[in-house]
Amino acid sequence: MRVLLLTGKGGVGKTSMALATALGAAVHGHRTIVLSTDPAHSLGDSLARPVGAAPVEVAPNLMAQEIGVLAELDRAWSDVQEWLRALLRDDADDLVAEELLVFPGMEELVSLRAVREVEATGAYDVCVVDCAPTGATLRMLRFPDALRIFMENFFDLERRGARLLRPLLDRISRGLIPKEEFFEAFERLYREVEDVRQILLDGDRTSARLVVNPAHVVVEEARRSFAYLSLYGVATDAVVVNRELPDGARGGFFERWAERERREQEDIAASFPVPILHAPLHPRELRGIDALRGLAEQVYGPADPAGVFVRSRPVRLHKEGGVPILEIDLPTASKEEIQLAARGDELVIRMRDARRMVALPASLAGRLVAGTRFENGVLRVRFH
Amino acid sequence: MRLVLYTGKGGVGKTTTAAATAVCAAGRGLSTLVVSADAAHSLADVLGRPLGVPDDPSAARPVAENLHALEVDARAAMERHWGRVRDYLISIFRYQGIEDVVAEELALLPGAEELTTLLAVEELAASGSFDFVVVDCAPTGSTLRLVTLPDVADGTIRWLLRLHQALSAVVTPLARSLVPAPLPGSEVFRDADALLYRKLRALRARLSSGQTSVRLVMTPERMVIDEARRAHTDLALFDVGCDAVVMNRLLPESACAEAFFRDWGTVQEERVREVADRFDPLPVLRAPLQDDEVIGLDRLARQGDALFADAAPEALLCRAPRPRYSRSKAGYRLSLPLPGAIAGDLDVVKVDDELVVTTAARRRSIALPRRVAALDLAGARLAGDRLVVRFAGGASG
Repeated sequence: MRVLLLTGKGGVGKTSMALATALGAAVHGHRTIVLSTDPAHSLGDSLARPVGAAPVEVAPNLMAQEIGVLAELDRAWSDVQEWLRALLRDDADDLVAEELLVFPGMEELVSLRAVREVEATGAYDVCVVDCAPTGATLRMLRFPDALRIFMENFFDLERRGARLLRPLLDRISRGLIPKEEFFEAFERLYREVEDVRQILLDGDRTSARLVVNPAHVVVEEARRSFAYLSLYGVATDAVVVNRELPDGARGGFFERWAERERREQEDIAASFPVPILHAPLHPRELRGIDALRGLAEQVYGPADPAGVFVRSRPVRLHKEGGVPILEIDLPTASKEEIQLAARGDELVIRMRDARRMVALPASLAGRLVAGTRFENGVLRVRFH
Repeated sequence: MRLVLYTGKGGVGKTTTAAATAVCAAGRGLSTLVVSADAAHSLADVLGRPLGVPDDPSAARPVAENLHALEVDARAAMERHWGRVRDYLISIFRYQGIEDVVAEELALLPGAEELTTLLAVEELAASGSFDFVVVDCAPTGSTLRLVTLPDVADGTIRWLLRLHQALSAVVTPLARSLVPAPLPGSEVFRDADALLYRKLRALRARLSSGQTSVRLVMTPERMVIDEARRAHTDLALFDVGCDAVVMNRLLPESACAEAFFRDWGTVQEERVREVADRFDPLPVLRAPLQDDEVIGLDRLARQGDALFADAAPEALLCRAPRPRYSRSKAGYRLSLPLPGAIAGDLDVVKVDDELVVTTAARRRSIALPRRVAALDLAGARLAGDRLVVRFAGGASG
């Protein structure tokens, strides 16, 4: 199954572009589903019809689904949830407590898990994800790392601790210590997230597409996102420039905007080493299947939106003269922003406030780093 | 100290509006701070200058007379606010043979970022250094989560404290010999108590106080307005008040006259009217689309002057009492300000997820939070200047 992550700064038109991409894929004969992971869903708004937590057919070959955090929690993690509820029961009133079950991290978890579930059904060739705005999407991609760290360092400890202390503490206050089922549920969840991580890091299956507008603040953010995506090992296979001023609107009041757009287009071409796709500004909001299908034609032309537009592996391991070398594409980054630390079988790369832990293959685990170099947007780590 | 949080759907111009508000207030002589609480910061891009202070990432940088700006650096804030809690986490990792540098990274677990952002805002707000703090929040969904986080953390921390009391009274000596890792000492919990718990409670109180308000930023687009309405409803549920809405990027008349934008102009007028009606009694602050991207202090000042032509940027722009929800035995109670209403003229019905209140003068529809919308309308009565509506039963009760 092909996974396309449509992401970008808020308001650039991610939802329209995700739907257009999905409609285009459906037209090309792929069984397609479009998922929204943005807690403020707008698939339904954009399609001008209700879309809910269960997949609903919105066009031939195309299903749509808005992932609801609360509904997913209710459905999948009753054990975890029950414990959380017990924790909060005390004095939080019920109404608020329910809302509070949306713990930090839960949204990311639910989104990741949804992708895996779609894959598991075997019913789809293409899964288009309408991601939350950049900040949240990056948190989602970082989540598997964070969870793994928790599992490896705390989980067994907590579980053993819980087993030991439960009999004693239950006498003081029942329910303080989570039950064994809680840990089982948690472990299940961890395995699921690991599955998704495998899907997301496979450039043949998963591509990110960055949606931008030809505006300075938007392009600046996209430049940072592009590098973060690469750092997390997700391949970006296209940048879509949305809302370009059409010829009829470049004069008069918009003359300076047109001039700015020209400069930003140059910057976009220079910043992103991937195919650049284009879509014009429309004089009306794009709502409904027909309008979105028209957008798909403008962006992709005759090409199949489900294709891989450029093949890249942001994280590569190879040998040069018998010396193992790890290469990571960090386009748009600067040398000063990058920090590196090794820890057993992992390499920790920090870029600004993002960090990635790259698991090293057994052959490299424990080896010392002989040297690092950052050149032309590529970080090269040589091992002894 | 006045605190204003800007939120809205992505891309509506939250950062620009927050920065313009701050530039305008500073220009009128108020000691002002603008803070970006969105993990994907754009404040520096909008101000057109770098913001980090090299030696102290948690310090706000002066950008103009009376004006400081800050993009909260979650890592730096973490180191500042989590003190011994973080040291404890690191000690566990070190116990397991992990280097310090890495352990630091590990302390950044999900939620820590939002939590530290909130703590940074609370600390700056409480510092007394500013008359006016403007927060550029993340898009609506995340902001709601941010606002509710003090409640979540509050519950969790209180539980931890209870657990710790139990532990230290009964089993700590025993547990220390059984559990193969450093158990948190009481100083860790004192920190959790002093730093997190108390500050978060202070922040929660601040958010619901009359000194804090949220302003929802919108553009004249259907989806943007729909999302703002949902956010408005949810904020009421958490007892955080809105004092204004902002209509951003209104196409000026000269541009509407151009052939390509003729339809746009017509739709825009409808939307502006709709917003004024839907969000009544909140005032609508308007900002026209400028002839170039709003970057830098000059253009921000121009934007601020347009927004606040008739009002002070720091003023509490709407003092009308807001709807309040409370839990009742059977379900929920909504107390709605309705000054001057007469019982005989009043009609209250629930239509799907909206409550429609009709008085002699006008009809008002109030979107209900999901949990409340699932219940049935059980009754309504006037109590002084407020209409009290009871909800009960229903599917998920």
